[in-house]
Amino acid sequence: MNSPANDVLQKYRWRFSGMVAWVIQRVTGLLLLFYLFLHVHTISKLAEGPQAFNEAMATFHSPFFKLLEIGLLGTVILHAMNGIRITLIDLGVGVERQRHLFWFVTVGVGILIFLAGAIPMFLFAVLKV
Amino acid sequence: MNIRVRIARGPAQGRKVFSDFQVALEERMTVLDALFRIQREMDSSIGFRCSCRVGMCGTCAVSINRIPRLACSTLVKNLETDTVTVEPLPNLPVIKDLAVSLAPFFEQWKKALPAFRPRDSESQELARIPADSLFAQLTPRKRDCITCGACYSACTITHKSGRYLGPAAINRAFLRLLDPRDSADSERLAILDREFEGVWRCHTQFNCTAACPRGINLTDTIIRIKRALLRHGRVFQA
Repeated sequence: MNSPANDVLQKYRWRFSGMVAWVIQRVTGLLLLFYLFLHVHTISKLAEGPQAFNEAMATFHSPFFKLLEIGLLGTVILHAMNGIRITLIDLGVGVERQRHLFWFVTVGVGILIFLAGAIPMFLFAVLKV
Repeated sequence: MNIRVRIARGPAQGRKVFSDFQVALEERMTVLDALFRIQREMDSSIGFRCSCRVGMCGTCAVSINRIPRLACSTLVKNLETDTVTVEPLPNLPVIKDLAVSLAPFFEQWKKALPAFRPRDSESQELARIPADSLFAQLTPRKRDCITCGACYSACTITHKSGRYLGPAAINRAFLRLLDPRDSADSERLAILDREFEGVWRCHTQFNCTAACPRGINLTDTIIRIKRALLRHGRVFQA
């Protein structure tokens, strides 16, 4: 038999899918907010001239940042898919089957879209095949 | 086979204290059965409440392994664990051990104008409810509420804000709004439209729906009211 903590975690995922979705939406939202600040900071280098901007951009061409970009893609997809899910629910679509909507549509379709983008990014931008 | 039953003790002030008991598991044993076994054979001082014992009254709602459930309707074997942790419903003042006061819950309930207010109190005619009306379609499922407080204790918004009506009170108002015989639609809609008390505080987390022992989709109720408010309540008119 499982420990109580494991037991609760296993059941929590399905039973409280809406809460899991809400937490994911908040966490990905905060990550995107952090990215937005980073993005604006980099773009603001344009004010200092082309050389300063190119130097800033050079930092992001390293494989480490390409991996972070793949992470950003996943974050955007999760946030966007979950946003679509919430919109559908607010419109009254899938309210009775919101758990399936989250795990199979938001997460499932989200993973497929992520793989479609992440595999080429990894091959051509990180491994540079 | 023995199971370990951990029971939260005392009023909830400061750190929680648990008492541990070993109870012989029986095939059809509910959590309430286990609590009675403990009270009769091991520790007569444990405090809990129950009434109907068949899932109709909602009195025995407690937190079982961190999920609000009815103790009388929860079979121990279905929990699939050898440790059952029983705590009072969160977000409600504890009276003793597992017994909570539902006063905050019913304070919100009263604010939602739960009582029927007939359009014509002298009418002798039977009301006609068309089969395709929202009242006929939704009422059978939505009126099953037994006011156990499970949804209120599972809702994260009621945890943060003492002003939010909570899912059960909103569901009650919804039932009254659907009722074509009721006259207080605009009053109720005004309450439900309030910034801190009303439906707009709901974050669509579905915790209330997941916790409801009667399987009422309370989030669906709240979403329907949100949409109706955007249409100035026209949805509810017969």
